[in-house]
Amino acid sequence: MSKAAGIEIAGVNLSYGSTQVLKNVDLSIHPGEFFAFLGPSGCGKTTLLRLIAGFAQARTGRVLLDGQDVAPLPPWKRDVGMVFQSYALWPHMTVARNVAFGLEERCLPRAEIDRRVAGALDLVGLAAYADRRPAQLSGGQQQRVAVARTIAIEPKVLLLDEPLSNLDARMRVSVRRELRSLQQRLGLTTIFVTHDQEEANTICDRIAVMDAGVIQQVGTPMELYESPANLFVAGFLGSANILDDRAGVAVPAGKRLVFRPQHATLTAAEGAAMRGTVANREFLGATVRYAVRVGESEILVDAPFRSGGELRGVGDRVGIALPPERMLFLPA
Amino acid sequence: MFRRSALAIGLILVAGSAVAQTGKVTVVTSFSKDVTGPLKKAFENAVPGATLEVQNRNTNSGVKFLEETKANNQVDLFWASAPDAFEVLKAKKLLSPYKPKATGIAEKVGSYPVNDKDGFYSGFAASGYGIMWNERYVKANKLPTPKDWQDLATAPYFDHVSISAPSRSGTTHLTIETILQGEGWDKGWRTIKEIAGNLRQVTDRSFGVPEAVNSGQVGYGIVIDFFAFSSQGAGFPVKFVYPSVTTLVPANVGIVANAPNKAGAEAFIEFLLSPAGQEALLEPTIRRLPVRPETYAKAPADYPNPFKDKNLQGLLTFNAELSESRTAAVDTLFDQLITFQLEPLKAATKALHDVDAALRKKDNAQVRALAKEARDLIAAMPITAAQAASPEIRAAFTGGKQKSARQAELEQQWAAFAKEKYAAAKAKADEALKLAR
Amino acid sequence: MALAGARSPGQATLALAIALFLAVFLLVPVATVVYVAFTDKGGGALTLVNFLDFVRTDLFVRSFWNSVYVSAMTVAWASALALPLAYLTTRFEFRGAMLVQTLGFLPLVMPPFVGAVAMQLLFGRNGSVNLLLDEWFDFKIGFMEGLNGVIFLQAIHYFPFILVNLSAALRNIDRAMEEAAQNLGSHGLRLFRRIALPLALPGYVAGSSLVFVKVFDDVATPLLLNVKEMLAPQAYLRITSIGIDDPMGYVISVVLIAIAVATMWASARALKGRDYATTQRGGGGLVRRRLKPRESALAYAVVILILALVLAPHVGLLLLSFATVWSFSPLPDGYTLAHYARVLSDSSVYIKNTLLYSSLAAGIDVAVGGTIAYLVLRTRLPGRQWLDWAASTALAVPGVVLGIGYLRAFYGVKLPDGTPLAALWIVIVLAIAIRRLPYALRAAYAALQQISVSLEEAAENLGATKARTVRRVVVPLMTGGLLAGFVTSFATAAVELSAVLILVQSNSDAPLAYGLYVLMQTPAGRGAGAALGVIAVLIVAICMGLAQLAADRSQRARGLDI
Repeated sequence: MSKAAGIEIAGVNLSYGSTQVLKNVDLSIHPGEFFAFLGPSGCGKTTLLRLIAGFAQARTGRVLLDGQDVAPLPPWKRDVGMVFQSYALWPHMTVARNVAFGLEERCLPRAEIDRRVAGALDLVGLAAYADRRPAQLSGGQQQRVAVARTIAIEPKVLLLDEPLSNLDARMRVSVRRELRSLQQRLGLTTIFVTHDQEEANTICDRIAVMDAGVIQQVGTPMELYESPANLFVAGFLGSANILDDRAGVAVPAGKRLVFRPQHATLTAAEGAAMRGTVANREFLGATVRYAVRVGESEILVDAPFRSGGELRGVGDRVGIALPPERMLFLPA
Repeated sequence: MFRRSALAIGLILVAGSAVAQTGKVTVVTSFSKDVTGPLKKAFENAVPGATLEVQNRNTNSGVKFLEETKANNQVDLFWASAPDAFEVLKAKKLLSPYKPKATGIAEKVGSYPVNDKDGFYSGFAASGYGIMWNERYVKANKLPTPKDWQDLATAPYFDHVSISAPSRSGTTHLTIETILQGEGWDKGWRTIKEIAGNLRQVTDRSFGVPEAVNSGQVGYGIVIDFFAFSSQGAGFPVKFVYPSVTTLVPANVGIVANAPNKAGAEAFIEFLLSPAGQEALLEPTIRRLPVRPETYAKAPADYPNPFKDKNLQGLLTFNAELSESRTAAVDTLFDQLITFQLEPLKAATKALHDVDAALRKKDNAQVRALAKEARDLIAAMPITAAQAASPEIRAAFTGGKQKSARQAELEQQWAAFAKEKYAAAKAKADEALKLAR
Repeated sequence: MALAGARSPGQATLALAIALFLAVFLLVPVATVVYVAFTDKGGGALTLVNFLDFVRTDLFVRSFWNSVYVSAMTVAWASALALPLAYLTTRFEFRGAMLVQTLGFLPLVMPPFVGAVAMQLLFGRNGSVNLLLDEWFDFKIGFMEGLNGVIFLQAIHYFPFILVNLSAALRNIDRAMEEAAQNLGSHGLRLFRRIALPLALPGYVAGSSLVFVKVFDDVATPLLLNVKEMLAPQAYLRITSIGIDDPMGYVISVVLIAIAVATMWASARALKGRDYATTQRGGGGLVRRRLKPRESALAYAVVILILALVLAPHVGLLLLSFATVWSFSPLPDGYTLAHYARVLSDSSVYIKNTLLYSSLAAGIDVAVGGTIAYLVLRTRLPGRQWLDWAASTALAVPGVVLGIGYLRAFYGVKLPDGTPLAALWIVIVLAIAIRRLPYALRAAYAALQQISVSLEEAAENLGATKARTVRRVVVPLMTGGLLAGFVTSFATAAVELSAVLILVQSNSDAPLAYGLYVLMQTPAGRGAGAALGVIAVLIVAICMGLAQLAADRSQRARGLDI
């Protein structure tokens, strides 16, 4: 279908009034990648997306799309397809007219427009709804129309602004899978903005984790999970135990000890480096999660659940064993 | 002792009547502040203790107001130019008769009797109708200076004249009626239509005419004299002339039925007719013609005098009854034949002016005959004088049982008649024009 | 949207109170005057024959179609004037927007009589423009001739309705709608035409239907141009004729009322299928772009040109108020302050009365209009739509009919001390208020339509009663719309004349418009009338400014920047 494009973002700084929203952002997105901007609300991920689309202007830095500097280009000339969080379907047009819009703006011949509209609707499975109005569709269907509208123009890049946040939990899972399979079929470079790490983990090739306008770390989901660069990334992707030296383990000054619950095991309390009392126990199906009070900290330890296996109770004194290779020391 | 009590009683009686005359006198009037201001002051000086409360409304609002508030009437006097308003009020029994005690008032001014024959309203002043024009307009368009009504019907005046509709202006109605009574029904209407063919507009209120002339929107206006004089007084570049046969129209005052201060109302009327009141009319801002002949001795030399000036004397005795009997018909005929058919009438008239111009260059009997036919078509009337005054037609307007048709039907008939005739006239005129060239 | 039955008694009482108000102060007085249309003259029997006569009379049918033509063309031209201004003020960071906002409503404030005189002096056959054109280029333009003259004046006079409604609607469009279109390749005018205008349609339809009806029912402007062959002037002329009790005037009034209601109904119908509110979320309005210097110059040129045109009557008025003599010349012969001197001395009572009457009338309009809008949009009471229709008929009732009706209905009612009810000045206020009620109603309606019901439901969920919810949530959110309604009511109330002329019974009760009428009856009074007219416009402008400031301040204090 379309030729996939790479995106280079270099040294971007963006402020709204006196608030700096993006600080020195450097990013490189490979052609055909399914890339995520992940972070809490207010971290600047949507702003970065809008910057690429042309709805925001950076004070400094460059944005290269397929090697070309897009800064002088207005939004309507950038050839990036954006799906808005509210879908932004025009209520006065039918589904088919909505999808045809971008093609009409490009002045394609009518036959070609019809063909591509049909194709796009087919791809999202809404061919039968071509003559309905957006108000007559469900949330999930509206979202698919929004997607169809953008892929119809065969853009270089696909931008998705929190596309799943308005769907119910079950829909989210199925729709994100559909989006992934669609992206793979089309080979489109796609940027996916979300605050949900599970979404980012399950379908994206690489993730940029952002906080307060700064890119914290870029990597594949597993890289980020295994080797977080700082406490924020560690805490954001999956559960993490973050300890200073008050837990009874030697932690160098200015650093914190970070490890995942499933890497620690419960042992007998005598002789263990970390000793504490079980404060809470949660049964999670495949695992049992213990919250162990050690000193002033609470440490989470996940143990695999085997029927007939040993279970600790609340109030038991236990020790926690952690292999050194699973210990991460990150700056505080 | 008797003498003292008699004196006391006498004093009380005099004081009592003086008290009764004083207090608030409420008048509904269509006269402007220029008129009511000085007269109010003079009245309050002449009758100490009396105050004149002036409610200024246009004539029809005034009539409607009196009609709607008759159950609890708070108004003492109705004071206006339009005689038709007084007839309406009289017919609806909204006026009380009163015979003024003043002596030395003329019986007739111009063609009109000064007072209502049944005594329901009294005339206190008169005004004359004439032609007013804007000097700058006339100069810029190189137009002539008029002297007589007939002038207005000639070619140079085409599309430069203005008049108010008789249905909207009682004084204009009287002027039209005077022409009809003076020249007869058919000839009168012919004259009226010939002038009307030159009209630029027919206004719906009297003041619309002088206003348009003052602004220079229209060149000539058929107006009542005091409008022209007050315009000149205000500095507008306008001139005025009384035609050789002028209509004088009276201005009236009447006491409203069940007036709260009847004595005060009577005092006001007496004041208006007194030498002092009549003299006040001579003031430049008022400039009306007194109905007390001796007042003219105090007037400046060139002040029009209806009792001496030839052109103001009036050649006929106005037949008020006849006027009354056909007033609605005349108003409606004017509107349906002229006001709302102005464009077709003007088209036919213009064509005839062109024919006349061609005839002046080269005379042609056939063309002249065609032109005459066209003019006859224009002058044709849908009803005769007798019909206009007949009970059947009158009933159509009042809703009486003898009506031959409803008012709306009559209007439609007359409008259709005029439309047809004017179109035919234009066709004849075009034919004549083609022949002439 | 259905609200708990337990609260219906309160709503039902409110609806009944409004219905009673409308019945007593609008429907009954008008009916006492207009019933004549349905009776046989002289006989008194009920009949429809007068309506038959209406359609059989050439003059009336001609007038009807003239009115339709004029009203439709006025909407077209007013839209042409409003659209560029709306585009510039909502689409760009444009300082001229302030100018448009403050001056854009002034055309509504046109004092009776004297405004048309001023226009004739500027644009008439021998007005300033034509005299100059004739002198320099040897031709004239018939701005003020016939039906075209009426369209010209009306378009200038009423275009603020379209401007205000269209701008408000544009400002309420969800920004994402525009960005999505830009993302797909559209921009500029094409985007405006394909996306913004269709989404702003409800606002546009609201404004233009109001203009259509108002022009259809306007008496003053056609008469002052001497155009009598339109429906509303015909009605007026017949009703105000002396001595002829003609039912046709009232027949035409009934037709006018029917057309007004039909237009309102049709416009509501046209918007019914379009579900705009539900899919719009954030509002935020269209993205505002900064103008490049050359574009900025062009924008200012357009704005100034349009404003110059629509404010020409006021310019003419100003000139006239200072003129010594102005006759058949491009400019007055000389200038003087004498008119103002004359007028300022005895106009303080007029000013006081005008402020009092107009504020009260506008206040009544906003209260009643807002309530009707709430009842229609937020309740399920049966027949509530009739409140809307009934209130809207006020647009079509000629002022003189209302005046006579009030006298007929209320003069017989006496207060304990014998003075008739209709003699009180409050009756004048009510007449003025009723005639302006539809403006406030439409503004409140539009404002309420854009507020989500969920905002009220949240308040109720947290324990607020209906009344408290309205006071604390609904009214603050509606402030923009209510203010717009107040402004238009106030501005037009200040120049109301036709009903006032019938009802005013003493000079001390008279408003400015009446004083103006008295002055305009003499040639010498023209300058003073213009001076009074200028004072009227200034007063209204100042009050508008103050009201806007007050509203802005309170909105900012609550963090609800409109």
